[in-house]
Amino acid sequence: MPMIEMRDVCKWYGPTFQVLKSCTTAVDKGEVVVVCGPSGSGKSTLIKCVNGLEPFQSGAITVDGIEVAAKGTDLPKLRARIGMVFQHFELFPHLKIIDNLCLGQTKVLGRSRAEAMAKATALLHRVGLDEHADKFPGQLSGGQQQRVAIARALAMDPVAMLFDEPTSALDPEMITEVLDVMVALAHDGMTMMVVTHEMGFARKVADRVIFMDKGEIIEDRPTDEFFGKPRSDRAQLFLSKILSH
Amino acid sequence: MLPDIDFNVIARSLPYLFRQGMSFTLTLTALAALGGLLLGTLLALMRLSTLPILAPLATGYVNLMRSLPLVLVIFWFYFLVPFVGQVILRADRPVEVGAFASALITFTLFEAAYFSEIMRAGIQSIPRGQLAAGYAIGLTYWQVMGYIIVPQAVRNMLPVILTQTIILFQDTSLVYVISITDFLGAASNVAQRDGRLIEMYVFAALVYFAISFSASRLVKSLQMRTAIPR
Ligand SMILES: Nc1ncnc2c1ncn2[C@@H]1O[C@H](COP(=O)(O)OP(=O)(O)OP(=O)(O)O)[C@@H](O)[C@H]1O
Ligand SMILES: [Mg+2]
Repeated sequence: MPMIEMRDVCKWYGPTFQVLKSCTTAVDKGEVVVVCGPSGSGKSTLIKCVNGLEPFQSGAITVDGIEVAAKGTDLPKLRARIGMVFQHFELFPHLKIIDNLCLGQTKVLGRSRAEAMAKATALLHRVGLDEHADKFPGQLSGGQQQRVAIARALAMDPVAMLFDEPTSALDPEMITEVLDVMVALAHDGMTMMVVTHEMGFARKVADRVIFMDKGEIIEDRPTDEFFGKPRSDRAQLFLSKILSH
Repeated sequence: MLPDIDFNVIARSLPYLFRQGMSFTLTLTALAALGGLLLGTLLALMRLSTLPILAPLATGYVNLMRSLPLVLVIFWFYFLVPFVGQVILRADRPVEVGAFASALITFTLFEAAYFSEIMRAGIQSIPRGQLAAGYAIGLTYWQVMGYIIVPQAVRNMLPVILTQTIILFQDTSLVYVISITDFLGAASNVAQRDGRLIEMYVFAALVYFAISFSASRLVKSLQMRTAIPR
């Protein structure tokens, strides 16, 4: 059974603008899927629908067997099991790094402070930021903040991770440190849905690549096939643009 | 001929002025500021809510409070509440509220209107992504507000909140209309009793000035230090 499954998801902003047009795809357990496409094609909207941050009007999404849009679904509880990493990190600037990692654990999962601290410390070590536990987010570089954001999501022991352009707000020299963490995560078997234009990352770890344009999933194919020769002209054009620089 | 001035009257009445008068003024200021901030934050959340009726209800309240002179609210509240209480509790006689409770409730209700505007601006200044990030780790609406949005809003708005509190500190002197002995009331009592109007009112003015002025300097320096690094 797929970890994330979408069937005919349609979403409108306002009465006329359809941002998602019958999007259907699935992400198996342990699979890494990269989502790419031109700006405004609906990539962010698509993955925000997965954890219910954006509502949609028709179709269905299930995560680990739970219907996101069903009436009885406890959304906070479901979201706690899906990690999300944002383009602009969105660490909580008034909390220390360690407390950024503990907040969800204690308030949502009900872990004790000691338990949460232990988990947070281990995760900070894993992303290489042990010494920064007592700093505030504003004191860290962009790359460090994004690694903390990944650790914050992992602290909840998620069954899947969503990434929305995790490196596009970073200076070039910091992109690698974040991608390295993501690659390691992929190799550990995490189920991941990653919106990114880092095609090197896609080639290295993605099992499949989804190409979106104007709210539609145009291609959804194994990575080798996709890079070998995209079927659609639009994907070809897109690839040639992004690979040329 | 110059009026004879006797500053000894001040020295003699200092314990009364501060132990009774000023301690009342400061207590009322602190409690009303705290209550006003709590209620104001709730009103701000109501105004920003997408649920029906909450927003217009809060807006109506804020507009009403901001359109009435404070003295009038204090006055009316003091005389009306006992009767309202009588009706609600179906008592035989007007309910005794007491001057202090009455003043505290009035100032809280009144200040809440101003604090709600401050908090609304503060909450709106927090990037939308913070809300999404809070939801994404599984927090509920109230948890996101309580742990993430409101604390940041209060910190960002602290200078304005404290400035409003300094204004409140001065405004508490209006309790004279319901014959409560605050600092100004105490000074005024001594002035009347000893016929030392000039001395006492000059002294009262100096004390209000000294406290308000140094408090606002303090706010300025605080402003430099509490800004959250982003
Ligand atoms: N809240 C909103 N109201 C109306 N339109 C919106 C809203 N959010 C996004 N849109 C529009 O929906 C479309 C898809 O947005 P989305 O953010 O999903 O695109 P994207 O593929 O992530 O683009 P980018 O690469 O720029 O991040 C865009 O045209 C955008 O302008
Ligand atoms: Mg986007």
